[in-house]
Amino acid sequence: MLTSKRYFKVFGAAVATIGALSGLVACGGNSESSSDSEKSNGLVTVYTGRHYGIEPVFEKFTAETGIEVRFTTGGDPELRARLEAEGANTPADLVMTSDAANIALASAANLLSPVESEVLAEAIPEELRAQDNSWFALSGRLRVIMSSSERVANAPQTYAEVGDPQWKGKLCLRPSTHPYTQSLVAGLINNVGAVEARKIVDSWVANNPLYINSDTDILKALVAGDCDIALANSYYLGRLLSEDAAFPVTLTWPDQNGKGAHLNISAAGVTANAPNRANAVVLLEWLASKGQKLFSDTNNEFPADPRVEAAAVIAGFGSFIADTKSVRVLGELNTQAVELLSAARYE
Amino acid sequence: MQRRLVDLFGWMAILGIVALVASPILVLAWSLVDPSGEVWAELWRTRLPGMIVSTTILLVVVVGGSVILGTSLAWLVSAFQFPCRRLVGWLLVVPLAIPGYVGGFVWLDTLSGVVGARGVRSLWLCAVVLVLSLYPYVYLFARAAFADQGADSLAAARSLGVGAWGVFFRVSLPTAQPAIAAGAALVAMETLTDIGTVRLFNVSTLADGVMRVWFGSGNLGAATELASALTGAAILLIACERLLHRRGRSARGTSEGVMVPRSLSPVAVSGVLGTVVAVLVVAVGIPIARLVDWSVESIQAGQAVTVAGGVWHHVGNTLLLVVTSTGVAIFIGTVLALLVARKGGVARLAGRVSTIGYAMPGPVVAVGAVVMLAALDRRGVLPNGFFLVGSTIGLVYALLVRFLAVGYQGVEASLERISPSAVESARVLGAGSFRTALSVEIPAARFGILAATALLAVDISKELPITLLLRPFGVDTLSVWVWQSTSESLWAQAAVPALLMVFIGMIAVGLLLVALERGAELVS
Repeated sequence: MLTSKRYFKVFGAAVATIGALSGLVACGGNSESSSDSEKSNGLVTVYTGRHYGIEPVFEKFTAETGIEVRFTTGGDPELRARLEAEGANTPADLVMTSDAANIALASAANLLSPVESEVLAEAIPEELRAQDNSWFALSGRLRVIMSSSERVANAPQTYAEVGDPQWKGKLCLRPSTHPYTQSLVAGLINNVGAVEARKIVDSWVANNPLYINSDTDILKALVAGDCDIALANSYYLGRLLSEDAAFPVTLTWPDQNGKGAHLNISAAGVTANAPNRANAVVLLEWLASKGQKLFSDTNNEFPADPRVEAAAVIAGFGSFIADTKSVRVLGELNTQAVELLSAARYE
Repeated sequence: MQRRLVDLFGWMAILGIVALVASPILVLAWSLVDPSGEVWAELWRTRLPGMIVSTTILLVVVVGGSVILGTSLAWLVSAFQFPCRRLVGWLLVVPLAIPGYVGGFVWLDTLSGVVGARGVRSLWLCAVVLVLSLYPYVYLFARAAFADQGADSLAAARSLGVGAWGVFFRVSLPTAQPAIAAGAALVAMETLTDIGTVRLFNVSTLADGVMRVWFGSGNLGAATELASALTGAAILLIACERLLHRRGRSARGTSEGVMVPRSLSPVAVSGVLGTVVAVLVVAVGIPIARLVDWSVESIQAGQAVTVAGGVWHHVGNTLLLVVTSTGVAIFIGTVLALLVARKGGVARLAGRVSTIGYAMPGPVVAVGAVVMLAALDRRGVLPNGFFLVGSTIGLVYALLVRFLAVGYQGVEASLERISPSAVESARVLGAGSFRTALSVEIPAARFGILAATALLAVDISKELPITLLLRPFGVDTLSVWVWQSTSESLWAQAAVPALLMVFIGMIAVGLLLVALERGAELVS
C-alpha cells in the first residue's frame, strides 16, 4: 500500500509529467510507420485473438520467408463475427484463437477450410487438430491446481477434490464468463458425463469461492493469503516464475490417475475465403515446425508438437498426463458447459 | 411553397441522420434468424432476475450519487471565488478521461488493500467507483449551465435578500435542471453499458449478461435481444429525463449575462476549498498516483516500449481519430438538434432513436456496424475493391453510431434553454432558418456545444471495442495498447498509455473550461 505522503509525491510528479508532455504533443506530428519489405514474397493477413508476444514471431517468419504479415488483434468472438460478416470479401487468410472452443466455433460456422499438408500432419498429433483438418493446435496450456507453497502441504490431486469441504472459503476460481472456465467444464462433461460434472461444479460452488477474472491475479491472491488453492493456467505461473524464481505457488497436475490435466490450446486455421491461401498455408506450416518453439516459448506454453522441447521454466514443472482426448469436443460441448455453470450458480 | 420545401428538406435530413446511425442496431435485430426462446427460458431460471435487480440498484445509486456530487462541485466552482479555482475546476474532470477498464482495476487494487480481496467485490463499492469516475458528466454540463445562467436574475434574487443557498435552490438549480438531467442521462447510459468495471467487481448486470449470452453460447441473436431490452430501459430513462426537462424549460427568460464567482470570507473559502480538495484527492489523486507509480515501474522494467509502432504512433493515431470523429459527431449532432428544435413532437422522438447506439454495449455496436458495412461492401459501394470494413471511414462511422448521443444530447439541452421569443423575433425579422441558427441559436448554445465537444473527445479517446474491431491494419491507438496489456492482466504495462490517454482527454476539457472562463470575463 502506498502511504498518503507518497501519493502526494507521486501526484505531484504526475502533474509535472502532464505539463511536460503537453509541450511535446503540441509540436508532435504522427509518425506513419512505413512497412515496405524489399524482397517481398507477398502478404499474409491474420486475425488473431491470441496476441501476447506475437510480434517477434511474425517478424521472424517474415525474415525467413520474405512473406509480409499483416495482422489485427481482438477478442475471439468479435473477430469471428467480423469474419462471418465479411464473407467472400474478407482480407483474412489465417485465424488464430486463444482457446479450443473459439476455433471450433469458427470451423462449425464454415469460416475455415481444410488444409492437407504433410508438414502439419507430421508435426501436430491427430487429437490436436480438427477431424477435417480445418484447424490445428499450435501450443497448449494446462488448467491445473495451484496452491500456496507456504500454507498448503497436501494439495488436492483431482478436480473433484477441489470441491472438498476443507477448502471452504479458501478457493479462488475464474468466473464462468471466461472461456478457460467454460472449456474446463466442457472437458469434465466429456470425461465424467454431465451428471457427475454438475456434482463437481456444485461442490466447488459450495466452497464459496472467491471469483477473480484474471489468472495472474488469482496467483497473486494465493500469495497474498486471500485463498489457499485455485485453478489456473500453467503459463501464468511460468510467467510469474520467470520474473521471480521464488514465487511461492506450487503446481499440482490434476487427475493423473484418470484422464489427465485439462488441456486447452492456441490454434489456427486457414479461412474459407483466404485471398492469399498459399501464403497462409506456408505460415501455418512454419508455426507448426520451424516457428513452434518461438511461438510456444513467448507465452510459456507447451509446443503442440511433442518432439519440440518446452521452455525451461515450464519444463521444470515435471512430466504429466494431459487430457488430449477432449480437445476436439471442447467446442461442441461449450454451450452445455455454460448452461451447467449457470444452473450451478457458478458466478 | 418554398417554406414547404424547406420543411420537407428538414424532415428528410432528420430521418436520414437517424437511419444512418440506427441502422447497424436494426440490422442486428433483423438478422435474428434462429428463435432464441430457449435461451430466454434458461436465463429466467438462472441469472436474469439477479441481473435485473443488481442493474437497477447500481443505476439508482450511481445516477443519484453522480448528480449530487457533480452538481454540488459545479456550483462550488462556478459560484465562489477561491485560490486555484481554475486549476481545481479542470482537475475535477480528470476521472472522466480514465477509461473504466483501467480505473476499475486501479480502484479494485487500491480498495482491496483496505477491505480485502473478498470484501472489495461488492455491488456497493462498484457503485462508489462508478460515481467517482462518472460524476464529471454531470459536473461539466452543470458548469456550462451555471456559466450561461443569467447574472441578472441571480443579482435580482440576491437584492431581494435571498441567501447563497436560496439562490442555489430557488434560481440556479431549477434553471440548470435540463443540463443536469442531460448529464445524468449520460451517466445512466454509461452505467447500463459498462462491462469492464462491473466485471472486475463481480457485479452481474444486464450488459454483462449480453456478453455472457453472446460469448458463452455463441448466440448473437439472443444477445441482441437482451441488449435491446437494455436499450428499452435506457429509452425509458431518457423519457423521465424529458419530463424533468419540460419543467425546467424557459426558466432563463430574457436575462443577460454570465454568472460571476463571488468572493467569500476566509473561513468560507477554506470550507469550499477543503471540500473540493478532498474530492480531488480521492477521485483524481489516488488513481493518477497509482497509474504514475505503475508507469514508473513498467518503464524501469523496460516493458513500456514493447508495443509495435512506438509511443508516437499510438498518440498520433489517437489524436487523429479523436479530432476526426469528434468533428463529425458534433457537426451532425448540432445539425440534428437544430432540426429537431424546429419540428418538435415526432421529430423529438426520432432524435431519441438516434441515441440508440449509446445505450448498447460497445461490442454489440461494433459488430452491428461491421455487419452493416460488410453488407454494403458486398454491393461494392467503394470503387477499386476497397472495403468499408477496416477503413478509416468505417471506423469513424461506427464511432458516430456509438457517440452521436453525446453530441446531440448536449446541444439539445442548451437549445431548449434559449428563450423561444428570441428565435421567434429573429424569424419575424425575416431571418431564414439557416441564419437564425447561425446568428441566434448556435451562439446562445455555444457553451453546451463546447461541453459536448469536450465530452465527445474524451469518450472517443478512450473507446475500445469499436476501435479494436474496426481499425485499419497497422493503426493502433492508445486504447488498443492498453487493451493489449490489460487483456493479459499486465496492469502495470497499461499505465503509460492510460496516462497518455488521460492527458489527451484533459487537453480537450482544458479547452472547454478556458472557453467557459472567457465567456465569463467578456460579460463581466
